[in-house]
Amino acid sequence: MEKRWLLRLGPPLVAVGALGLVASVSAGAGDRPWDPPDCRPDGGSGTPAGAAAALSRPGGPEGLVGEAWFRLDPVLDGGGTLAGQRLELGLHGGGSRHVELPPESFAAGPFGGLVLVGSDDGNVSTIRAIDASAACARLIARESSVVRRAVIDPAGTTFYEFRVDRATRADLGVWRRPLAGGAAARVLAPLPADGLFGRTFSTELSWSLEGDRLVVQQCGYTSCRTRLVDPGTGHVNTIARPELGELVGVADGRVVAYAACHGLPCPILSVEASTGRTALVAEAAGLAQLVSTDAGPRIVHENGPDTDRHLRSTDLGGGSAVTVPAPAGDLRLVPASSRASAGTQLPAGWVLLAPDGRRAGGSSRPVLVRLADGLTVSLGEVNR
Amino acid sequence: MNRSSRRAFLGVILGAAAVAAAVPAAAHGPDPVFGGVLYAQNQELRFRWKANQAPPAAMQAAILQGATDANATRNSRAATFRHDPAGTSWINYGLDVACGVNGLACFSRLGAPNSFTMSFRENGHRYDWGVLRWCEMTGRPDGCFDARNSALDEFGHVEILAHHVNFADQSDYRDAVVQTIQRVKPRDGYDAHVFGRCDVASLQRKYDMLNWAAKYSTCLDLATTLTISAPAWVYLGASVPLSATLKIVDLDAYERLGGNPVSSRTITVQRRLPGAAAWVSVGTMVAAAGAGTYTFTAPSQTTTYEWRAVFTKPAGDGLRGDSSPIVTVTVLSCRQTSCPQSVQPAGQ
Repeated sequence: MEKRWLLRLGPPLVAVGALGLVASVSAGAGDRPWDPPDCRPDGGSGTPAGAAAALSRPGGPEGLVGEAWFRLDPVLDGGGTLAGQRLELGLHGGGSRHVELPPESFAAGPFGGLVLVGSDDGNVSTIRAIDASAACARLIARESSVVRRAVIDPAGTTFYEFRVDRATRADLGVWRRPLAGGAAARVLAPLPADGLFGRTFSTELSWSLEGDRLVVQQCGYTSCRTRLVDPGTGHVNTIARPELGELVGVADGRVVAYAACHGLPCPILSVEASTGRTALVAEAAGLAQLVSTDAGPRIVHENGPDTDRHLRSTDLGGGSAVTVPAPAGDLRLVPASSRASAGTQLPAGWVLLAPDGRRAGGSSRPVLVRLADGLTVSLGEVNR
Repeated sequence: MNRSSRRAFLGVILGAAAVAAAVPAAAHGPDPVFGGVLYAQNQELRFRWKANQAPPAAMQAAILQGATDANATRNSRAATFRHDPAGTSWINYGLDVACGVNGLACFSRLGAPNSFTMSFRENGHRYDWGVLRWCEMTGRPDGCFDARNSALDEFGHVEILAHHVNFADQSDYRDAVVQTIQRVKPRDGYDAHVFGRCDVASLQRKYDMLNWAAKYSTCLDLATTLTISAPAWVYLGASVPLSATLKIVDLDAYERLGGNPVSSRTITVQRRLPGAAAWVSVGTMVAAAGAGTYTFTAPSQTTTYEWRAVFTKPAGDGLRGDSSPIVTVTVLSCRQTSCPQSVQPAGQ
């Protein structure tokens, strides 16, 4: 089995340093927590224009230099209870810092160079956009309801947030407001209760691969409901089927999601949003990611048991499957940021592998893999 | 997987959901199961706490109790679980919980048939609905989740079990611990610490019985086949030796249970006069040497009878009753003063 892996490795691993990514010493994720100062009114990319690159992608591994990344981890007290969250963020090829957040907090992005950070002190939710490059933060909103999640639109002009009631935790829907400032307006009503899904554990906001639909997925214990919102018309397309679980991604009008499994391996299904027509993408997948490539969107997923784990890539309908050469060992495919509690922009046609499937800090050894030919690039080099 | 088998698999996924959504009353039965590799029968899976992500003491205790519960109540040859610092499987807590966006705990059986992983969210984790409270860590207030119950659910998943499909009114919730929705204290079943009968049913189908005398889950309804053998004739006054064999009918749907011998059940012997309608019970068979075999000796026969063995569906056992085919044992009169105490071998 191991020999087979070696044969699959194909093109040699290319150090990022060889591609010109000269890394600097980490700024010290283990140092004192960072309290980002306010961005100057005329500086930093905390401005709308600064987020306009939300869906832009680096051209290749060398283009990752200077791109932002983040990772969010729970911080436990001595008894094992959540005491806060630790946000580590930085730039590829650069240093990293960490921000201490309260237990009720989240991070999203990166949107261009911005990492969106929400934190709630028990009275007010505060949303800030941290510019990892300019090392400053810009206040986006303060809200008396609890803001659970937020995203910036691909144009970098509008901010969407999901709220729950502070006292009852009732769903208050999805709201949007201009990133430049202005009043919020609700764009999506609360999801009606449904016993088939149970109470809502999570609401995740994301964008379709093309950036033309806001994707709002709300999950109960296991099953999830997904709403696709056309931000231009307000039209909402709802997929509410209990056999569907967590989202992998949305592209070409198709919702790609795990079945309602609660564990791995799990089937991946692809649902045509307009018709409900469903295709089986994978019978027993591990971690998965929707990837933009020159040949169109591809679903990349782990296939096979741990002893023979490999990456498989299919089209949105589960067809034209190919096996991608990938390194062996304990590296796992890094999924969407909502699942990984970590995020970074990747070049089109590339996936990231990392220990435990999460983009980690300076001590990790993640690698980039090009789907087309299995070219493998050590991302860890950027942190040296 | 070819196109037709992909379509069939998709149908299974969508069909299960359709059953759950549309006709739940018809859905009750053994837990569904995941695809993928099984562990070996009675395989011992040793797990460790993942380095730097070990659960706090109260959670460790609850998880270990859950492992003990799984081992003690699997009622099958499913894998067993044991904590071992050198184990190849691991369990973690809080950090790097790769459960996805929802769930209290989760598992991966990508390592099957060698290992598994399991993860538990940290106490205080924020969900849309509020704050996660593990009962074991918070003094058991109403609204808390029982971690021992969660652990048993996850160990069931690791074995192969998917979530039980309940009746619409949830009246069968206690039939399974492996549930989509874990109840909070003080709802009925929130602290269930034994596998439910419909969990066990699927474990038995996938991993087989601990022994042939063990009872089958009552969530199963397995057809049995009872056969009988007896001599075709005996001399007047001789004894009639009867032998019966009880087995599970060998159907693909029964998976590992098909064709199993069934021991330690009550098999009744009945007889009637040829052509008569009514049967009369004459005794209970006793266990013989072979698995699933039973014997009975009817002494001093002077009349020709039809004989059969009867297995009546027992309470607390997931087996259907069956009656054997009828055999006629003819009693031959003889001209000697006394007939030889011999017996015509069965089948002659």
